[in-house]
Amino acid sequence: MKRRTFLQLGGMTAAGAALAGCRSGNEKLIPYLIPADEGVTPGKAEYYASSCRFCPAGCGILVRVSDGRAKKVEGNPAHPVNRGKLCARGQAILQELYHPDRIAQPLKRSGSRGSGEFRKISWDEGIALLTEKLKALQQEKTTDRLALLTPPLSGTLADLTDRFMAAFGSPNHLSFELLAPDWLRRATRQAFGRASLPWYDLAETRYLLGFGADFVEHHLSPVQYGHAFGRMRQARDTVRGHFTYVGGRMSLTGASADRWLPARPGSEGTLALGLARLILADSLHDEQALAASGLQREKLLRRLAGYQLTRVAEQTGLPQQAIVEVAREFATTRPALAMAGEAVAFQSNGPEAVRAVLLLNLLAGNLNRPGGVYPAGGGGAGPENSFSGLLSLVAKMRADRIGVAMIQGNPVHAIPPATGFQEALARVPFIVSFATLLDDTALQADLILPDHAALESWGDVIPQGSAREAVVGLIQPVVTPLGDTRQIPDSLLATAHRLGGGMAASLPFQSYREMVKGAMRRRIAPARGTDFETAWTELLRQGGLFGKIGSTGEGFRRATAAAWPEPGEPRFAGDEKEYPLHLQVFPSTAFYDGRGAPLPWLQQLPDPMSTVVWDSWVEINPRTAAELGISHGDLVEVTSPAGSLRAPAVIYPGIRPDMVAIPLGQGQQGGGRYARGRGANPLSLLAMIDEGTEPRPAWHATRVRLTRVSEKGNLVTAGHPQGSYRSDLVGI
Amino acid sequence: MNKWWYIAGVAAAAAVVAGSALIYSLPLDTRDRSPRQPLAFSHKVHAGDQGIHCLYCHRHAPRSPVAGIPAVADCRACHLFISADRPEIIKLMGYWEKKEPIPWVRVYALPDHVYFPHMMHIRAGLPCSSCHGEVATMDRITRSVSLKMGWCLDCHRQHTASIDCWTCHI
Repeated sequence: MKRRTFLQLGGMTAAGAALAGCRSGNEKLIPYLIPADEGVTPGKAEYYASSCRFCPAGCGILVRVSDGRAKKVEGNPAHPVNRGKLCARGQAILQELYHPDRIAQPLKRSGSRGSGEFRKISWDEGIALLTEKLKALQQEKTTDRLALLTPPLSGTLADLTDRFMAAFGSPNHLSFELLAPDWLRRATRQAFGRASLPWYDLAETRYLLGFGADFVEHHLSPVQYGHAFGRMRQARDTVRGHFTYVGGRMSLTGASADRWLPARPGSEGTLALGLARLILADSLHDEQALAASGLQREKLLRRLAGYQLTRVAEQTGLPQQAIVEVAREFATTRPALAMAGEAVAFQSNGPEAVRAVLLLNLLAGNLNRPGGVYPAGGGGAGPENSFSGLLSLVAKMRADRIGVAMIQGNPVHAIPPATGFQEALARVPFIVSFATLLDDTALQADLILPDHAALESWGDVIPQGSAREAVVGLIQPVVTPLGDTRQIPDSLLATAHRLGGGMAASLPFQSYREMVKGAMRRRIAPARGTDFETAWTELLRQGGLFGKIGSTGEGFRRATAAAWPEPGEPRFAGDEKEYPLHLQVFPSTAFYDGRGAPLPWLQQLPDPMSTVVWDSWVEINPRTAAELGISHGDLVEVTSPAGSLRAPAVIYPGIRPDMVAIPLGQGQQGGGRYARGRGANPLSLLAMIDEGTEPRPAWHATRVRLTRVSEKGNLVTAGHPQGSYRSDLVGI
Repeated sequence: MNKWWYIAGVAAAAAVVAGSALIYSLPLDTRDRSPRQPLAFSHKVHAGDQGIHCLYCHRHAPRSPVAGIPAVADCRACHLFISADRPEIIKLMGYWEKKEPIPWVRVYALPDHVYFPHMMHIRAGLPCSSCHGEVATMDRITRSVSLKMGWCLDCHRQHTASIDCWTCHI
């Protein structure tokens, strides 16, 4: 270019910019086409109470709605579970509502499965198609060929699905979720004789001994326990509760502890019994509680003879001194509390180990006492082993005994492929998904009947294990549905009505809203009886029915018939020589089991320990990394007997040298533009473990090996002392 | 040599000062005080000649931070019967047929860091004209005040209203 041309062009650009600056700066003032509804004042926000259904905790929310648009979600201060607090996942449910890739109307598959090619159809066609398939099953008298897959349900939705499946004549309703606390429900019944989840009085306790229970991130009810933990530390003038964390990986919960005991994976139960032995040997236990449970110190000591300090120290890999100190602190501080979490439960010896931890509560005499363990409100009824239900359904699908599968949630992504689920599902001739986004499951579906977002839905939620009193949270729509979508229960009702006969008779409801209202009318009928409409409006205003139903009933006591917990040696998939490292897959703070990955706010939320955003990562101890020549941000390959994946390495001192950890949630094939093809799904690495006759959900019992691939891990962090500010890699 | 450096320094400083002064004095508020609107709507006809009260159309002012402008359906409701054959009304109906809102040009705007609630000023009994001028005599709306902070404060002082920062900057 000539100098003259350059100057001319430069002058023109400058003049253009200056002229653009002189244009009118007035904004536009766009009126409504049709005036806003009665009761809506433009510019003035309304607040609606509802419930969060992102995770099973069931927190109460208040949604700010301005000009008919939901703008902000906060915790409901009147709700007994979260008391006005709310976690990042709850805040992000706004983006579920406004997600640009939401399915706006029913879809019918037009390409091959997984291709993502769908044709838009009307609701009439969609329901007709499903009805036709179900009618065919009825005519062939093979109604048991219908399967329904949902997360664990509560309240009216559980009632509706039960009635639907019973009237249709199929026993194949599977309520499964990777992180469902079935294991805890089962262990509590076996140890304390009551089918209920425990509710820990964290706020009032003085000594907390946590065995891999990550209650700050996800365990049972993170907002409730996070708040209680704050009170345990700071709400009392003279006492600051002490917290010891046991677990091979220092989670955010672990990082909040005073003492970290990185026990070898699978040895937590042995540690619990070793502590019990030390406590009994020094007679530091609560003698009264022991007597009330019909136990004698000498007998117990004989039973625990195998858990000598030397053996326990050797198995757990912990210093003897630390074990003795913790035993003494736990036994001499009253009230003291022991919690067991997923890191313990998902080992091959998990069920026994969890019971061993619960036994510590008995020795400390804290059952049904302030600062101790109470049965959770809301009834504990729920599945205790939905994992075996999953396996039997997989077997049925494999044997071509399922003709129609209706699926809520995203099991194709959130169930480990080692169970054979994905491959068995592919054999099912007709799959219906109720997804809101084209997620991994919807991509395999033949028909998609899109669900409302939570903020457009009706419903009720009975939190399990979230509060001591019984709570029924209400979900109400805060905005007019954005697309032509329908709630799952309304889709099921429409299908039942079209099927007619016994189906229609067993579900005589015009809408799910009517059903939720009817259920609430029955719940409060004995108390009030008179004007239900006023009461209903008041319940919606409050966000549900809190602490007014029944008493908590009787408390926990030892189940005398229970077998003595003997955790035994943990077993692992993979040979120790070939696969030297233990793998732990953990629910990330942002994504839970993966349902948060489609939401960009949660992708952008830095992991609190590693500060990684928008990706998966592998946590490696600095010593192990040095041995393998891996540095921070390198791309590494993780190989297990079941598969392999690649992800960037995060050098993390808060993990045992013989362990690596990968967060759950990423590695989706679908799930909208923010989740698709991002990171890796560690569930593909997991192998199955058989313990005795029954397979167990031992998700932490897989061994892996690590190889460095290259230095180009493209790790994106929101600030790390070692650098790597690669935010330019993130493209939205 | 030193002298020349000194002169150059003074000249540079003077240039910076002059430049700043120029930028300060330039009319950087490029907003039009009386912009042309997509429809030749006349406040003089409606509020002046016909004597329709401001709040009949700007009905949210007593209850909301924003006064609100009538929805297209509201305009249409009257003009189905009144002056339906005028060219501007035909244009109005055109917007309705296309189901498009009228892209009015905003005349009164405050920056985002200012919270101005209409309802408080209405409740205090201020006439609309104290800020919006004699709208009833204007065919096309013209902004009659500066909307600068000093102007707000003058009035707040006069009426002994709060002049705390947090009153408006929340």
